[in-house]
Amino acid sequence: MTFTGAIGALCMFPLSALISVSVALRVHPNVLTFVGVLINVLAAWALALGRFTLAGTIMIVANVFDFIDGKVAEQLELRSAFGGFWDSVMDRFSDISLFIGLIYLYAQLGRTDYVMITALTMMFSVLTSYTRARAESVIVKCKVGFMERPERIVLFMIGAFTNRMAAVLWVICVLSILTVADRIIYTWRELNHDPIGTVT
Amino acid sequence: MKISRLLTWPIVSLWNALFWTYDRATWQYDLMVIAILAFVWLTPPTWLGDPTASGPGLVGWLLTLIN
Repeated sequence: MTFTGAIGALCMFPLSALISVSVALRVHPNVLTFVGVLINVLAAWALALGRFTLAGTIMIVANVFDFIDGKVAEQLELRSAFGGFWDSVMDRFSDISLFIGLIYLYAQLGRTDYVMITALTMMFSVLTSYTRARAESVIVKCKVGFMERPERIVLFMIGAFTNRMAAVLWVICVLSILTVADRIIYTWRELNHDPIGTVT
Repeated sequence: MKISRLLTWPIVSLWNALFWTYDRATWQYDLMVIAILAFVWLTPPTWLGDPTASGPGLVGWLLTLIN
């Protein structure tokens, strides 16, 4: 098992208990998604106030809801096309809220440079999701590029808990630009019958 | 054959890192995570002009120690 695989497996223990409770109470997954978004807005507010540790803690709670909604839907056999759409839209709402919180903070501190970096990061984070969604309407799958939502969220939490948000923003920004570029290149090559993969 | 592979290895590795097709929980993913965490935690906040963090960070501290 890899290092990241072991961390994932470790995190599954408490999450499994929460999934079981939600299933027992028959909480609708769309409600879980919505509660997660509301909590994420609170995290954005904490970021805006510069209270990073609080923001990180709230983000953990919010993302627990975000993680378990799909599993609860599966176990309650409530998976639906609308559920997937709702989850996807609410994810964008959560992401953008966090970035707006940071933009507000940096604007308050008079740091136009970091307002711009955060805005650029927000733009490419949204484009990361958009390129995949749009690509998968014309090709079968477009799962290339490193910086997807889970990576972004974990990095946000690391930045908040260790007060290294600037470095985290640079990483998300650069890797999101690369991910968008990867997806454009991949889609172009797939559509032109010129598949591309890992070079060995 | 082996020499040519050795010579192209850095370019191939760079291409694979830029054009990312690996899944999560692979050794390549772990390596990328370690590189990212090293950048985040080791880079002195002052080098990036961090608006909320200050101080030299681990790298800055080590450089001071060496000097």
